[in-house]
Amino acid sequence: MALPLLDVKWSLKDKPYQIGVRARSFVPSFTKTNDARSMTNDQILQKPTIEVLKKMSDEALITAFQGGDHDVYRFLVERHQERIRNMLFSIFHDRDFIDDLTQEVFIKAYQALPRFRFEASFYTWLYRIAVNKSRDELRKKKLRRFFSFQTLDEGIKKELNVRLSVPPEDRDTQELVDLGLQSLPEKFRTAVVLKDIDGLSYEEIAEVMQCELGTVKSRISRARSMLRKALKPLLEEVQT
Amino acid sequence: MKKMNEQQIDHLLSQYVDGRLSEIEVQKVESFLTLDISVQHRVKELRRLKDLLASKQKLTPDIGFWTRFAVALEEQKKDEKSFLPFPRKFIPVITVMATALVVAAGTLVIQNRMQFVKYFSEKSQAVREVYEKNVLQGQLLPLFSKVDKDRALQFSLFGTLALDDKSKTELRVDEQSKKGYRIEVGKDSKNKAKLMTFNRFLAEVKPTSEQKHLIDSLLELTGRRIESSVLIGENNAMAIAPDLPNLNRMMVTNIAACLEPNQRIQFERLLEANDAPYTVTAQSVPARKGDCIFENISQSPRGNRFVIITPDTMMYSQLHINFDSLRRHMEENIVTFELRREAILKKMIAREFQYAPRNVPWPHQVQSFGNDNFFSVEINVPTEEIEQQQMRVIIQPRLRKQILQTAAPNHSIELHVWRDTVSDGLAR
Repeated sequence: MALPLLDVKWSLKDKPYQIGVRARSFVPSFTKTNDARSMTNDQILQKPTIEVLKKMSDEALITAFQGGDHDVYRFLVERHQERIRNMLFSIFHDRDFIDDLTQEVFIKAYQALPRFRFEASFYTWLYRIAVNKSRDELRKKKLRRFFSFQTLDEGIKKELNVRLSVPPEDRDTQELVDLGLQSLPEKFRTAVVLKDIDGLSYEEIAEVMQCELGTVKSRISRARSMLRKALKPLLEEVQT
Repeated sequence: MKKMNEQQIDHLLSQYVDGRLSEIEVQKVESFLTLDISVQHRVKELRRLKDLLASKQKLTPDIGFWTRFAVALEEQKKDEKSFLPFPRKFIPVITVMATALVVAAGTLVIQNRMQFVKYFSEKSQAVREVYEKNVLQGQLLPLFSKVDKDRALQFSLFGTLALDDKSKTELRVDEQSKKGYRIEVGKDSKNKAKLMTFNRFLAEVKPTSEQKHLIDSLLELTGRRIESSVLIGENNAMAIAPDLPNLNRMMVTNIAACLEPNQRIQFERLLEANDAPYTVTAQSVPARKGDCIFENISQSPRGNRFVIITPDTMMYSQLHINFDSLRRHMEENIVTFELRREAILKKMIAREFQYAPRNVPWPHQVQSFGNDNFFSVEINVPTEEIEQQQMRVIIQPRLRKQILQTAAPNHSIELHVWRDTVSDGLAR
C-alpha cells in the first residue's frame, strides 16, 4: 500500500523538541479546507494519527466524514475495497470491468455518505450499492445481448459441459466454479455469492438485496440446487 | 418428507446445511437421512458445494486502487460542477418536464396542423399578391430621381447617396467581408463621407476636356443606373438590385482607368484625403479608351434581378421594367410622381421593417436573419469575371486589400434595411 506523504511539524513553544507527524493529504485538492497543509500546528496535533484512524470503526469514520473530514474516506475505501471487488468479480468474472465498477460503487458511496443514517452497517449499505450497480450493468449487458442476438447463458452452459467432460485430473476447479456461477440467473447468483462466498447472514442479504427473508432463503436454495446439478460431475468426483 | 417435492427438499436441506432449522426440524431431517442414501448424497454435495464456494480464490489486492480512485473522484466532481447548471437530483424532474413540453408542443402542432398549413399558404399567397399588385401592375417608382453628376460622383467615390435633402436618410453600399457586400438604407452614418462635387473633382484631378467628357458621360450613366437599381412601390414595397455595390467599385475603376498616371496620383490623393473605400494601386497603367470603359456598365441591373421587400414578404425575382417609358411618364407628371414618391418613402422608412418575414418560403438562394432593429438578406450572385480582372489591375479596397487576392468563385451580397428613427419622428 502506498504511504501518504508525511509532513513534519515542530512545536517548540509548548512541547520543545517534540515532533508531530501527520499525513499531509489523504484526498486530493477537493478537500482543501481539511488539508493538513492549511491547518495550524495545534489542529494537526489534535487530529488522530494514521494508526488511530486505521483502528477506528466504520461508524466513527463516517461520523468524522459527515463532520467535514473527508480525508477519512480513504480508510473506509481501503477497508472494504477488496470485499467489493471480489463480490463483483464473482458476479461478472471480468477483471478490467470490475475495477471500473468498484470505482463507481465507491464514488456513489462518497456522494451518498453525507446522507448515511446508521440504520444499517456500512458494509451492508456498501454491498447494496454494489448489488444495485451490478444489476444495472447486467441489465445493460442483457439489452446488448438482445440486440446482438447472442445467448450468453447457453454458451456458458456448453462451455461448462465441455470443461466437465475432460478427465478429472485435467479439470480446473476454480474455473468450473466460476462458470457454474455465471450460468445462474442474476438474482440467484447474487444471493449465493453473498451467502457462500462473502459469508453474509440471511438477514444481511435480505437487507442488501432489499427483499424478504423467505425470498432470500428460496433464492439461495434454488441457486445451490442449480449449481449442484451443473457441477454434479465435479461434486461426485470429490465424494468418491 | 416423502410427500415433499424436489424443490421443497432442496429448500429444507439448504437450510439444514446452513444451520437455520429448529431442533425438531433438524431431528426430522437427520432421521430421514439415515433412511435415504440419495438424500445423504445430496447433503454431501451441498456441503461440498459450500466448501468450494467458500474456498473460491480471492483476487490479488489492488494496491493502486486508491490512487486511481482519488483521481476518478476528483474528475467526477469537476464534471458535475461544470456540466450541470442545476443539482443532479433535479435531473429526473427536468427530464420529465422537458419531455412533457416536447410532447405538448408536438400535440399542439399536430392538432392545429391545418392552421399551420393555412398560415403558410396565406403567406405564399401574400407573396404572390405583392408581386402581382406592386410589381406586375407597374406601381413601382424609382427611389432616386434626377441623380445629377454631383450625387452620382458622391456615390461613385464613397458609396453613399442621400435620398433627399430633408429626410437625412441615405443609401450606403460598402464591402463588408470577404464574402460580399452590404447595402444599407437608413439614417445618416456617424462617419459620413465628405461631400464631393464634380467641380471640386475637376479642380483636384485636372482632367483634359476629352477625359472630362468621358467622366461626365460615366456619371450620367451611373445616375441612370442608380435610378433603375432602387425602386419603391405601393404597400411599402421596395426593390433593390443586388449588384448595386459593384457599381461603386466599377466607377472608381473606370474613372481611374480613363486618367493618365500623373492624374491618377492626384485622384488617389483626393480619395485618400476623403477616406474613400477604394485606393488606386496601378498608377502606371496607361489611360484606357472610352469603349472599353463603358462596356462594363449597363443601364439596368444585370438580368433585371431585384430583391423585392415588403413589410411582410421578401423575394428575389426578375422584374421587366421599361425604364425609358417610366422616366418619360414621370417627366410628364413630375409633381404628382414626386409627391407620391415622397409619401411612399416616408411611409416606408417609418414602417417597422424589423417585422421582417420569418416564415416565408424563400427562394433557395436567399437567406434572411436579423433582430428587432434590422433585417438583412444574403444573396449569392455569380462572379463577374471582367470586372474582377479590371479591378485587379486598377484599384483595391482601401482597408481590405486581401479581398481581391482571395476572391471567392461566388460573391455574396448582404442587404440591410435599417429602421430609421429620424424618419419615424417625421412620419408622426
